[in-house]
Amino acid sequence: MKNFLKKYSSLKWKVMIVTVLLSPASVFAAGAPVASELSNPLAIVLLVVIIGLLLVIALLANIVIGAAKLNLQRFLSEKKKNNTVSKMLGVVLLCCITGVAFAADSPAATTATDSSIAGLSSTSFYALLSVIFLELIILITLLFNLKKLLQSEKLAASIQGEEVVPETVLSGWWEKVNSFVPMKEEAQIDLGHNYDGIRELDNRLPPWWLYGFYVCIIFAAIYLYRYHVAHSAPLSGEELKIELAKADADKQEYLKKAGNSVDENTVKLLTDAKDLDAAKAIFTSICAACHKPDGGGLVGPNLTDDYWIHGGSIKDIFKTIKYGWPEKGMQSWKDNYTPLQIAQLASYVKSLHGTKPAVAKEPQGTLYVEEKAGATDSTKAKTDSLKTTADKKVTGAK
Amino acid sequence: MQVEKFYYDNKSVKMFAYATMLWGIVGMLAGLLIAVQIYLPAANFDLPFTTFGRVRPVHTNAVIFAFVGNGIFMGVYYSLQRLCKARMFSDVLSKIHFWGWQLIIVLAAVTLLSGYTSGKEYAELEWPIDILITLIWVVFGINMFGTLIKRRESHIYVAIWFYIATWVTVAMLHIVNSFEVPFSFMKSYSFYAGVQDALVQWWYGHNAVAFFLTTPYLGVMYYFLPKAANRPVYSYRLSIIHFWALIFLYIWAGPHHLLYTALPDWAQSLGTVFSVMLIAPSWGGMLNGLFTLRGAWDKVREEPVLKFFVVAVTCYGMSTFEGPMLALKSVNAISHYTDWTVAHVHVGALGWNGFMTFGMLYYLIPKLFNTPLYSKKLATNHFWIGTIGIVLYAIPMYWAGFTQATMWKQFTDDGTLKFQFLETVTHIIPMYITRSIGGAIYLSGALLMIYNLIKTIKAGSFVGDEAAESAALSKVHETHGKQYWHRWIEARPIQMLIISLVAVAIGGIIEMLPTFLIKSNIPTIASVKPYTALELQGRDIYIREGCYLCHSQMIRPFRDEVARYGEYSKAGEFVYDHPFQWGSKRTGPDLARIGGKYPDSWHYNHMWDPRSMSPGSVMPTYTWLFDNKIDTAITPAKIRAMQTLGVPYPEGYDKKANADLAEQAKTIQANLKKDKLDTPADREIVALIAYLQRVGTDIKGQQKTAAAFK
Repeated sequence: MKNFLKKYSSLKWKVMIVTVLLSPASVFAAGAPVASELSNPLAIVLLVVIIGLLLVIALLANIVIGAAKLNLQRFLSEKKKNNTVSKMLGVVLLCCITGVAFAADSPAATTATDSSIAGLSSTSFYALLSVIFLELIILITLLFNLKKLLQSEKLAASIQGEEVVPETVLSGWWEKVNSFVPMKEEAQIDLGHNYDGIRELDNRLPPWWLYGFYVCIIFAAIYLYRYHVAHSAPLSGEELKIELAKADADKQEYLKKAGNSVDENTVKLLTDAKDLDAAKAIFTSICAACHKPDGGGLVGPNLTDDYWIHGGSIKDIFKTIKYGWPEKGMQSWKDNYTPLQIAQLASYVKSLHGTKPAVAKEPQGTLYVEEKAGATDSTKAKTDSLKTTADKKVTGAK
Repeated sequence: MQVEKFYYDNKSVKMFAYATMLWGIVGMLAGLLIAVQIYLPAANFDLPFTTFGRVRPVHTNAVIFAFVGNGIFMGVYYSLQRLCKARMFSDVLSKIHFWGWQLIIVLAAVTLLSGYTSGKEYAELEWPIDILITLIWVVFGINMFGTLIKRRESHIYVAIWFYIATWVTVAMLHIVNSFEVPFSFMKSYSFYAGVQDALVQWWYGHNAVAFFLTTPYLGVMYYFLPKAANRPVYSYRLSIIHFWALIFLYIWAGPHHLLYTALPDWAQSLGTVFSVMLIAPSWGGMLNGLFTLRGAWDKVREEPVLKFFVVAVTCYGMSTFEGPMLALKSVNAISHYTDWTVAHVHVGALGWNGFMTFGMLYYLIPKLFNTPLYSKKLATNHFWIGTIGIVLYAIPMYWAGFTQATMWKQFTDDGTLKFQFLETVTHIIPMYITRSIGGAIYLSGALLMIYNLIKTIKAGSFVGDEAAESAALSKVHETHGKQYWHRWIEARPIQMLIISLVAVAIGGIIEMLPTFLIKSNIPTIASVKPYTALELQGRDIYIREGCYLCHSQMIRPFRDEVARYGEYSKAGEFVYDHPFQWGSKRTGPDLARIGGKYPDSWHYNHMWDPRSMSPGSVMPTYTWLFDNKIDTAITPAKIRAMQTLGVPYPEGYDKKANADLAEQAKTIQANLKKDKLDTPADREIVALIAYLQRVGTDIKGQQKTAAAFK
């Protein structure tokens, strides 16, 4: 009987190690140097949950097998039969359950790695979720079986009039998984050390701890190999390039569809109250810091008078907001606001013209008079000036 | 065999215990103050020495080196004597150690609040105090090894292995990280610059957590937990393996604080993999603690001391699992610079260190005063109050960190950033408020403990010299059956010291030497030039006010950071940064490319009242910068110190520096004048503006990645 148990536990560990080793290995092997979905934190969380549940399943399955075996044992010994049958049955059961577990894990591995789309696509998300769901069902089934087995064991025990310790199976599992030496036999592993009354036992290293340590070391080796020997995973700089290229493609795709692609050549003055209200909200929270809420100017110039430093047409204002004039303190807002929002803002600024704020900054720049045909195009001049200012130092200090 | 009579020195233990309680409250109060300041900038009181940037280092230093530090010494002085069956080596050294350490703490508090800081997190203290720390640490070492040498116990217990490793590693970390060139009585520049400084600093910072907050506390756990539970230690061989694995692997993991920064990729990868390998050795300590309680769980229900220990060890297990997870690049991309890290360290500090200390105090004080604890019920209440405090602290911070990071990374469909930085801050203010409530609850629990212990002390009578007796140390070791190979070293503390030093030195050497010696690790950039004299003065003001505690200067290669802040930071940009100022938390936005982003007048107004330029900002006001004059008398000394460090100022520049400084200050004065802001050119605000306008501009002409992909 004891021998049998030993065999069992060694088999269990083999299976578990293989399971644990295989799941990260498959994940590692398949990743191309493209930003795979594995870099997606959600995917990682889900995968960790899947692997965690898998471990729980493996452990629980083992308890159920243990309990079933005990049951069977009793049943068989009553019938005075050879126990090889139970042995066989146990192994088959174990194989089945771990097989199910494996089957459950494999779709996760493939879905997570085969796609070249970064970010988690809904297909893989739901695939991962369904794996978790499947694992939960297996868990519930196992728990249900365990409960049944425990009940029948109690029944059997009470029939035989044996003393029942209710937590035998669970605590037995706990003892086994940690390789505990039973409390009664503690004296045998007492090392005889005595430090101010503190004694030391010589329990074995908890196997799951030890194998966990090995797995971490293997992980470390694979990690270093992938990043620095095989170069099959992107280093930080490469990761950025992949991310930016993808973002750019997405953006172009979206702009094509959305028709939101206003730029400085196509922008028109908006007069709709809805547009101006939207702009006003941004203006009072962001622009007002430099231009005052009424546009009278503070650090930035007065926006209500007739004088403009960088042109007063709707196109010029659009450009000023979009690209900024960093050397004069106006930052570029194109990464913060959409083209439509910038058009709204430019229109709002135009709408401020002629309002007379209580405290206004003195006029700066040149007089601008609205032309019927729109402002002269100063795009070229603007790009040139940007180039020169980018090259020289633009600190206020110099 | 002759039995010797001797006395344990309980007086030092008592003194350290009192100091632990006192500094614990001080440290927590400082923490509470800065927690409130984050959502109530007026709580900075508009005074330099009560402002966040100066109080924050006081909080961290007080909690780590004063509260936990004294807690370590309390635990070590109590347990070491009993484990060695000997009185501490020298009463005089014990006194010097105690008073020296308290002097360091007081000096630290005074100098940090006055703005003397080296600008390196958790190593902020300036060079005279660094030397004092070294001396006192040596005193502690002599006292410890003296006791070990005259011990009456043939072998040394696992707790002492941890004490030895702690002592030697902290000495190594402190000395290597504190290399600095003094230029005045209280000020110095870090010997290292930029990437190298960052590597050394986080090698230190990470291992200060390891060898000041972890290993000594594992040591005291190995003594107090089995004593309180009256159970044998679970597994001796687990002790051996987890001890050596822990100290060897821990040292390597420092670079995980610098993932995605300008640190070379290979060093970052080492940080990640060694962190992952650390899970098991760290958990070895937790398992040995919790499994020792096997068969004693009924006692845990009764005994508050054990309750504290169980939660402490569990918190230790949680943080040491979370730490390696945070060291994975994809998780770190979210957690770093946010409150997630703050939550992580507080689970460790409040849970592991705090609760271990409380447990020790509840165990020790009744023993020292030979009386039962005044009220077990109050202690149990303290336990629950503390636990609720930790939960209320940690959950909002995890939430805040995750939320903010997610907001930073969001883009609209047309490729623009979805949130302004400030929006992401104001969004999490409710979490900041909840966190401060959690902290206040935790603090009130600690006050309850002090009341309980004072009552206990009053009821008992102090046993200053506790009588004990033991056989003298015999040359022949008694053996019980099979002997482990490890027993050899357990009888030889000095060899243990040397082998520990070797184990902890390897990781640091392998990571640092290539970064220092191989040029390709930090590619030079021709356009990067040393700071002007005025900018250098401004930089020192930036360091003095602790700006780095809320602002990073390190743009990581992420799409959102490049869009928000500009081209990502390169290793070659920081070669003249003594010390580096990359920061570790973004309560405010990154400043690595702040130069030229706003006009001088914006900075001027923003420093006077941040909310005038950024409505809703949580930054404190810095009005004293408008009155303080730049200390130009020290400029030549600063330039000379920089020259010593290899910064290529021309020969004899120290004499011309002040003329350059005045000239540059005048241009800024003129710029401000244009925007109707009148300021004398000799004010600190001018120097600070000069520095801010310089940061990150050296490579402006070469922003290739950003341009190519926009």
